[in-house]
Amino acid sequence: MAELLQFVITGLTVGMVYALIAMGFVLVWKSSGVANLALGQLVLLSSWFTYGMLVQVGMPLWAGFIVVLIFAVLLGWVIERFILRPLIAQPILSLITVTLGVAYFIQGVVVFIWPASVAALPRLFPVEPLHVGPAVVSQQYVWAAVISLALFGALSLFFRYHKMGIAMRATADDQRAVQACGIPVTRIFSRSWMVACVLAAVGGVLMSSIGGITFGLVETGLKAFSVVILGGLDSFLGAVIAGPIIGLAENLGAGYLTPLTWPGVREVIPFIIIIIVMFVRPYGLFGEERIERI
Amino acid sequence: MRSKRLLALSVVLCLVVVAGMLPLAACGPTAEKTLKIGMTTPSSGPAAEKGSPMGHANLDCIKYVNEELGGVDGHQIEVLWLDNGYDAAKAATIVKRFIDEDCLFFTTASSGMMSAMMELANRDYFPGISSFSSPVLTHPPRHIYGQTPDYGDDWAAFARYFMDNIWKGPGKPRMAMHLLNNPTGYGARDAARALADDFGIEIDFDNWVFEHATTTTSEIASLTTILDDDIDILYISSTPAPTSIIIKNAVELGMFPDMLIGCGHASFTKALIDLAGADVVEGVYGVYPTVDWDDDVPGLAKVIEYCKKEHPNDYGNMDYIISWAQSLIAVEILRLAVQNAGIENLTPQVVEEQGFKKLKDFDVGGLHGPVTYSPGDNRLSKSVRVFQIKGGAITPVSGWVEAPLVKYEEYDWFGK
Amino acid sequence: MDLPAGTRNYTYAQDMAILRTRTHWFLFVLLLVAIFTAPLYWGNYWLGVANLIGITIIAAIGLNILTGYCGQLSIGHAGFIAVGAYTSAVLTERLGLPFPVGLISAGITAGLVGMLFGIPSLRVKGFYLAISTIAAQFIIIWVINHWTGVTGGFVGMRVPYASIGGLVFKSESSQFYLIIGITCLTVFFAKNLARTRAGRAFVAIRDNDLAAEVMGISLFRYKLMAFFIGCFFAGISGSLLAHWIGYMNAEHFSLTTSILYIGMIIIGGLGTALGPILGVVFLKLLDQLLTVQLVPFLESTFTALPAGFATGIAPMVFGLVIVLFLILEPRGLAHRWQLFKAAYRLWPFSY
Repeated sequence: MAELLQFVITGLTVGMVYALIAMGFVLVWKSSGVANLALGQLVLLSSWFTYGMLVQVGMPLWAGFIVVLIFAVLLGWVIERFILRPLIAQPILSLITVTLGVAYFIQGVVVFIWPASVAALPRLFPVEPLHVGPAVVSQQYVWAAVISLALFGALSLFFRYHKMGIAMRATADDQRAVQACGIPVTRIFSRSWMVACVLAAVGGVLMSSIGGITFGLVETGLKAFSVVILGGLDSFLGAVIAGPIIGLAENLGAGYLTPLTWPGVREVIPFIIIIIVMFVRPYGLFGEERIERI
Repeated sequence: MRSKRLLALSVVLCLVVVAGMLPLAACGPTAEKTLKIGMTTPSSGPAAEKGSPMGHANLDCIKYVNEELGGVDGHQIEVLWLDNGYDAAKAATIVKRFIDEDCLFFTTASSGMMSAMMELANRDYFPGISSFSSPVLTHPPRHIYGQTPDYGDDWAAFARYFMDNIWKGPGKPRMAMHLLNNPTGYGARDAARALADDFGIEIDFDNWVFEHATTTTSEIASLTTILDDDIDILYISSTPAPTSIIIKNAVELGMFPDMLIGCGHASFTKALIDLAGADVVEGVYGVYPTVDWDDDVPGLAKVIEYCKKEHPNDYGNMDYIISWAQSLIAVEILRLAVQNAGIENLTPQVVEEQGFKKLKDFDVGGLHGPVTYSPGDNRLSKSVRVFQIKGGAITPVSGWVEAPLVKYEEYDWFGK
Repeated sequence: MDLPAGTRNYTYAQDMAILRTRTHWFLFVLLLVAIFTAPLYWGNYWLGVANLIGITIIAAIGLNILTGYCGQLSIGHAGFIAVGAYTSAVLTERLGLPFPVGLISAGITAGLVGMLFGIPSLRVKGFYLAISTIAAQFIIIWVINHWTGVTGGFVGMRVPYASIGGLVFKSESSQFYLIIGITCLTVFFAKNLARTRAGRAFVAIRDNDLAAEVMGISLFRYKLMAFFIGCFFAGISGSLLAHWIGYMNAEHFSLTTSILYIGMIIIGGLGTALGPILGVVFLKLLDQLLTVQLVPFLESTFTALPAGFATGIAPMVFGLVIVLFLILEPRGLAHRWQLFKAAYRLWPFSY
């Protein structure tokens, strides 16, 4: 019983971090219909930049974070302006592939500037774990979960009520109608990419404080895809709910399935979930079903 | 019109044919009597952080030998150095090029790359040394040699040290293992399977042996399952990042420091201390096959000198030491071969018989354990030192502990 | 296709011919002669590179049929290649079956696995399908790594030489003939596939699958067929790769490899027969030159370079090349080649 509680708590908190990264993806998809396959690498780049600012340049924490956020905004602007804007009317395959190219390029840039493959951020949260009954949970996870939830709340409100948020939703629905209304579509794309990069940066900082900065951040980005598929590509609520579900599945699987089947089964659980979701309910739990007409 | 077009076509074709001839020109004839060896490191790609300093060290040492020691008996050593980018297919083309260009033998850094090259090398009787080894390279022993002990040897040496010096009894110690999901981790498991009973260690392979990926963020789930099993020692064979997570989780669950923790050499570096925090990893044991930059051994003086002169950024990197030693071994092999067979008669097979197999107690300036070839054992150095993290620094607690030879090929579970 | 000025088609056979004029035939024969006499003047290293390129072309052609002709985006191709490689390795090494059996079974097994993971394509398209193919790759690699009894697990397994009957393909040039032979057959097949009923069905599905279904093209049948054919060639390529390297390890098949394959067919030109060949040759040569030739050159001449320079250059250049191609020439090198041919034929009026 104590074991179960431990698995559940760990799974939920880890899942919230996945959800945070997934929200960045959903944001870009919701507003421009582009699948951002460079998500993992964006997380990686922001984490390394944070390391650069905090450790190599030696800024104090608060100043470093502000710089990182500004960097993320600039990064999003650059990617949208120079890479995605020329491809506005191209088929989806080109868009997806160009993000793959960007991913590759960013990976090269990271290796170029920071050749070490592993680095540690200075400690952001205290090490003492919290005790919930017989189970323990590290404070880093709790903070990550709290921050994710806060961002989720902010994003949902933004999309529901703020002018720019409504404009983004409208653009995702029908670009031409939006242009007819006089809303600058390119500016909307720009903004959505900027915010998505900020989300990736925050997610990256949180993940690196948990496990250090490694190339594994890219794989965590892939796990965020499974969150997105399960929750629905265009739903923030879906991301926030599916994240903990995937985290739970991983940890419960690791705890209970491993003695029964092969060790390491935990790694493949998110991907099996993707396949099952594809067969059963392709648009995810909360996603909008796309209806095509000829 | 037609003849003009055909003429234009023929011109284009001639250009194409000439372009095809360029590779031929690239593989031109070699120069005068030098001793030619091939070296390849993963200097770009995912393993670049290790591969780049290793490539530098290989070349710096050869430069030292050529310039200050006059080469081998007066013959200069020529190195064909290629970067394999940690890509198996590219490594395969590289070893073919080494054979094509009449290299006498080759060296690599990573066991993964060597496993891609070893079939081709073995088929052509072309010997090679790999800095990092794994049982599959050296068992059954053919033409591939391991410079440093492999991850199974790490476990064996650590277990030997543990049983001799730390375990006071009564009864058998209970050991759990946490393995990275690649040969680094499974090498340790295979050694444990072969030797645990001999050492008197109890390991429940079904319930106490876990696997994790490099990307793991939390191993609380797996550690929780052994919380009540009264484990005495946890052996982690992995890389720094996952190891730091496992140790942190063990501290959170209250398992460490009551339970001992030992690490294989792949994770036992300064990066581990940085990632986890010095207070978290206090008291963790580990093994490492070479000395540290601060140690006092005769061979280090030249290493430090050349490192600072040629590649100052690599100072402090442990892999630099390993590759420097690898070049020293290569030079010794050439020296033995020239001495025993004469420089006119050198072919890869002769170098293997008269160079590799005649290595005996060669001391690489104290940088790692002595290098000896014994028949049936393609590991060139077999000992590691045991260290413990005290006060945020990795301090040695033992001398050279030798790992016994395990004839994996005789176990039917090997390779399974 | 564009024909030189002055050629007229008077029969159906002439209209549909791949090699229409005498010049075409002459050049084609010359090309074949040049390729098949390559072992005479190329050393083992360049033959090895050519072998690698041939193997990659076969897999790229498979992917081109699946993604280029049929529009089913698949970023898990490396996984299907791995299936083929391991099938062939296990059948020849552990069960001792002859190589041709291994080769064909590799193709069929990979095709069947591809069909299985292609079933989601009946319900989703575009990005969703891409994600499920990525998931397919991870699952396949995980199974390979953990099914130690059969595949040797993480450690990997040895693979014997390819051999047909008593002829063992041991030397680089014999392997060259085998691989290039199979590559030529594959190219021939792919070129003709586009002209058959199935090929036209694929293109219809790519352009608008709902309209195709309304027209009477069975999506179920043709989408799965596309997956089967695409992954069949991946399997063949994997089998040849396994026997060429001689040692199989799941590390060879990463997500990065799959992404590179997509990059290759896009740079070459999606949905054309020439595209995969051009894309593969371009990228593989770039790769080989960058890392094997350039990096050591830079390292030895400019030892004062910052540590990350040489190591980061290759992925940066690759990523940049993919991005630039997509922005500037989205129809790939094959399109450029068509433009070049047209310009050449219409010269001096080629504007």
